[in-house]
Amino acid sequence: MRDQLIHQIPRKGLTVWRLYGLFNTLVVAVAMGVACFLTFHFDWPSFIFYIAIALALIVALTSIWLFPNIRWDHWRYEVREHEIEIQSGLFIVKRTLIPMVRVQHVDTSQGPILKKYDLANISISTAATTHIIPMLVTNDADSLRSRISILARVAEDDV
Amino acid sequence: MSEQRFKLHPVSAVVDFVKGLKDLIIPFLILFFANGFNVNFNPGDGSFWSNLVPIGILLLVILVGLINGIIKWWTFVYWFEEEELRVEYGLLVKKKRYIPFDRIQSFNYKEGIFHRLFGLVQVMVETAGSTNGKPEVILTAITKEAANKIELVTRKRNLEKQEIELRDESVVPVESTPKTARIIHKMNIKDLIILATTSSSMGVVIAGVAAVLSQFAEFIPFDWIFEEVSHFIKFGFVIVSLAIFVSFLFTWVVAVVITFINYYDFTVIEENERLTITRGLLEKKRVTIPLNRIQAIKIVENPLRQMFGFASVAVESASGGFGGEEKKITLFPLIGKKNLSNPLQDLFPQFEWQPTLTKPPKRAKHFFYRIDFIWLLPAIALCTYFWFPYGMLSVLIFIPVILIGLWQFKTTGFAINHNQLTIRYRIFSRVTFIVERKRIQALESRQSYFQKRKKITSLQVTVMSGLTGAKAKAPNLENGAAEDIMNWFEKPSM
Repeated sequence: MRDQLIHQIPRKGLTVWRLYGLFNTLVVAVAMGVACFLTFHFDWPSFIFYIAIALALIVALTSIWLFPNIRWDHWRYEVREHEIEIQSGLFIVKRTLIPMVRVQHVDTSQGPILKKYDLANISISTAATTHIIPMLVTNDADSLRSRISILARVAEDDV
Repeated sequence: MSEQRFKLHPVSAVVDFVKGLKDLIIPFLILFFANGFNVNFNPGDGSFWSNLVPIGILLLVILVGLINGIIKWWTFVYWFEEEELRVEYGLLVKKKRYIPFDRIQSFNYKEGIFHRLFGLVQVMVETAGSTNGKPEVILTAITKEAANKIELVTRKRNLEKQEIELRDESVVPVESTPKTARIIHKMNIKDLIILATTSSSMGVVIAGVAAVLSQFAEFIPFDWIFEEVSHFIKFGFVIVSLAIFVSFLFTWVVAVVITFINYYDFTVIEENERLTITRGLLEKKRVTIPLNRIQAIKIVENPLRQMFGFASVAVESASGGFGGEEKKITLFPLIGKKNLSNPLQDLFPQFEWQPTLTKPPKRAKHFFYRIDFIWLLPAIALCTYFWFPYGMLSVLIFIPVILIGLWQFKTTGFAINHNQLTIRYRIFSRVTFIVERKRIQALESRQSYFQKRKKITSLQVTVMSGLTGAKAKAPNLENGAAEDIMNWFEKPSM
């Protein structure tokens, strides 16, 4: 059995995911509201009400509470001298191994919500793929970014 | 330094223009259909002038295209200066592009019908950086001598440079390999016919023929045919089956013709660590791939070909191809499995071609088809609901799904030999994916909740190829086996 990876996403990240889930729910709720209104207005069969309400509830429950929890639980990462290892996933747990030599560039990015929470995403690009470590505390993200770029350069020299 | 500037051949204006026209065909057709074909040539009619507007716009666009082509040809110059290939064109906005010789990876050639009339060739210059699918520079039409000259000038400098580098490093005394062009593979007429017969594009052709026929449906007197058909049935099944046979024959002939146009005179030549592939009947194409740019090798056998012992071989390359999505370059469109290992061994001696594969465990079997039930069950439920008694027959679809799943299970396997990873899997065709460790960009293991319970892991490798890369997946391996591969990949490169 391979070892569990060390680092987790900060707790604040979970809060931001919940926030995203809330936005998601709002969009669905509005759509369902429209559906309910149309049903009422045009006298469509009443089971549409129940379906719409159930759907909105399910979306709220999963995208605000369940999915962020599972996702946060699964997210792990580790940056070692020769490779980066990331674990992610909701239903399927993916574990990705990226050798340092293959890293072409590292970016950090931060939207308005992430900025408010002092978080940032790191994306690691190889020639063929891009991998994201989300929701890191900005300072950590910056230092991790420079660390990866130094390690990647060293690895390049080795070969 | 000679700074003589060269121009393209005037035909390039025509070629660019025709290419522009091709892009225009679809908007043109839309315009035409929207108009409902009722173009009126009677000036007395009221709608005459309003009908003329789209045609006028069309003429204008065509004229602009023509002028564009001429301007591009008129202003386009290329020359050699300071070890760079320099290109300049444009009237109002001047575009310049300088490419250092040693950045040039390869030249690819294409000869369309216009080119062949005048003995010209289209040259595409590929650099290491052009991974976005487009060649760095396209010289639309130049004479073959000019193309040879470009290759000579750039190649010569590179070779000189390499020799100097070699002398400096004074490593193993590499015997200066004389230009030995070896023919690796050549397809004869028989191969082409088998290729056409067993290609999965047969299905596409059938669909195409059907589409064309349905377009002409209006003109086919169906009533009359139905009458005839009822006569047919009286005549018995012989004639009906004859008709079916004839339509299949027709489809087959179309497939053969298409294959001939695309693959006629398919030749693979190895020369100075480069592979050169030439093919085409009407439009001749020539691609060059440096061997060290090849990322992975894919041996594909569709079920029909597997049955008769044929396979096709493609390589994933970091650069090369004709631009666009064609990053996957077919090395051997069709080759007997018996004759396969020799040329491959010859080209890629570092690989082991007959590795013993590690199979997924027996308990992984049901993972190959169970996932399909998720969408099958609701589909069957809907079928049953809407077409009640007969809809229930859709349950039968489980049988082929499970059979294919079992077939996939039987095919799947992987092998690690030193620095080489071999993955064999099947979606429908059997694919053998061979890659060196240093070419793998990322390795990913995937495990769902159910797989975790049964201690089973899927594995996916990504190599560079075009923009998104190429992936190969070894599904449902033993946990330990997947970990072995991860550990193998993790070891610092030796």
